[in-house]
Amino acid sequence: MMRWLDRSGFGLLSPSLMLLLGAFLAPLAFLVPVSFRPYVPGRGIGEGFTGEHYVRFFTDLYYLEIFGRTILLGAIVTTMTLLVGYPLAYFLARTKSRWRSWLTILVVFPLLLNLVVRTFGWIALLANRGLINETLSAVGLIEGPLRLMFNFTGLLIGLTHIFLPFMVLLLVSAIQTIDRSVEEAARVLGASWSETFLKVTLPLSTPGILSGSILVFVLTISALVTPRLLGGPTYKVMSTLIYEQFMSLLNWPRGSAMATILTVVAIAIIALSGRFARRFGAQ
Amino acid sequence: MSQGSSGELELRGLRKAYGSFNAVDGVDLRVREGEFVSLLGPSGCGKTTILRMVAGLIEPDSGQILLGGDDITRRAVHRRNVGLVFQSYALFPHLNVFENVAFGLRRRRVEGAELKTRVERFLGLVQLDRHGARYPRELSGGQQQRVALARALVTRPGLLLLDEPLSNLDALLRDEMRLELKRLQEELGTTTVFVTHDQAEALTLSDRIAVLSQGRIEQFDTPENVYGRPSTAFVAGFVGRPNLLEATVTGQSASSLLMRTAGGQDLAAATDARFSQGARVVVALRPERLRLSAKKDPEIANSVPVTVVFRAFSGASVQYVVGVNGGTEVQVEVPASAAIFQRGDALQLEIAAEDVIVLPSNRASP
Repeated sequence: MMRWLDRSGFGLLSPSLMLLLGAFLAPLAFLVPVSFRPYVPGRGIGEGFTGEHYVRFFTDLYYLEIFGRTILLGAIVTTMTLLVGYPLAYFLARTKSRWRSWLTILVVFPLLLNLVVRTFGWIALLANRGLINETLSAVGLIEGPLRLMFNFTGLLIGLTHIFLPFMVLLLVSAIQTIDRSVEEAARVLGASWSETFLKVTLPLSTPGILSGSILVFVLTISALVTPRLLGGPTYKVMSTLIYEQFMSLLNWPRGSAMATILTVVAIAIIALSGRFARRFGAQ
Repeated sequence: MSQGSSGELELRGLRKAYGSFNAVDGVDLRVREGEFVSLLGPSGCGKTTILRMVAGLIEPDSGQILLGGDDITRRAVHRRNVGLVFQSYALFPHLNVFENVAFGLRRRRVEGAELKTRVERFLGLVQLDRHGARYPRELSGGQQQRVALARALVTRPGLLLLDEPLSNLDALLRDEMRLELKRLQEELGTTTVFVTHDQAEALTLSDRIAVLSQGRIEQFDTPENVYGRPSTAFVAGFVGRPNLLEATVTGQSASSLLMRTAGGQDLAAATDARFSQGARVVVALRPERLRLSAKKDPEIANSVPVTVVFRAFSGASVQYVVGVNGGTEVQVEVPASAAIFQRGDALQLEIAAEDVIVLPSNRASP
């Protein structure tokens, strides 16, 4: 056993493995069984085995809408951070400006602020009597206030902003590892700037695009604080729904079933992207 | 694509400065069609900068680059139709060997059967016919090098630029690739500029060599002349590993020059170079032109008594370090078949007057 630990390198991994087992797998091992137990009003987790929570989730349109909305939100936030983040990351990776390290700090800076503070910042901007609406109506561009909060737009704006730094940081390191002479080789071989970008730079940054997308997607579908504050009490996503099941309704079995579904989705996405990455020969 | 711009390369007054550092300081060079020219010099002499300016990857501050008579100084990189092989090979890691070679052809809208034929022909030329489906990371260094070469040549560029392409290979493979490179270049007749800091490579491969120092061309001549008749002390010192001695001119006739070295030895050189009486010169003595013998040969112009300080055997030859009476140490290379001397042996060091190379001193004459 000891020799196997030495030779396989698992010995070195063991501290982080222990942490993962304790903090991630153990709650899951608790969650999954609970999700198959009946809910007894007033008592909580009942005795016996039932699949009703899963059946209910996939047959109730209210739940399905929230599920679909969460996945859609994840996909759009990922796309937005990618579209906004790639040019920014490309610039940061390639600029020779002496301001580069300051610009990088500027990108990371939002991460240093408390999440709640940042979200309240967005509320101040997006609310019906917030900065954006007040300015626009003062200029005379709009009649009544635009609904920017407690809906999809609000969540999209807030989450894109919050997760952008993760995307940018992963993309910067991916773009930086691209050998410049490979791009120069493409140019000398007759590729225009745009051809070089599409045929060389972009394919070679797929590892960064993939890892950034996975991270942002998973973080978005599991984000709680921002959707709660910007979505309000009625506009729900999966995480706020689960929170409500556990904390307000005390329906632990149903909350567990929903949490299990969300976890399975996240793991499936990660597994699929891994296969996708291998197919495209990302090193 | 400008397929017409092939052949002769001409550089006129090419300059590039980085801040106050003159990387390339007024270079004029004319490479004939089909010629193999090396830019030889130590690192930082500007040779790679010249190459990258010709490729279009660096913009010159001033001067002109002409390829086949066309001024390409301001032409965009991707319209120059030159081939470039990088020191790091710079293969596309996400494309297989076939697609790496096909890249330039696809950019020129070559497709289908013609594309396949041309790529396969060039893969055959570099003996990689069966490796088309492999990825660069699955190839050895030498194979990667050959892919890079095929990729640069398949578009039939008017000019092939090589940036130290052999320096990442181990010694044995380097010799092999050197011959293969020369064979391929002669077969295709592509005008080639080869950048290197390795004098042996430059000497074996080139039709002519431009020796560079501090952004300027010191000498541009055939390998034989660069080696045998260096025009400056820098060239003499960089090509080969000669003994360099300082000397003062003591007299001269129509075809010979008499000098006294700093160590006090008299030397005669057969040269028609003119120096004034008392001028300070640098004498270059090639180790392989020096001879050691047990007794003095009256036929030889220059002969000095010496003692063997050190001896090292290196296969084909034996290297000696001998001490001249004045204390100066001189390196001598003798074929291994010659007589073997021991440390401490008292001998005569001889060199023919024709083999003594006299160069103006770098320092200003008093």
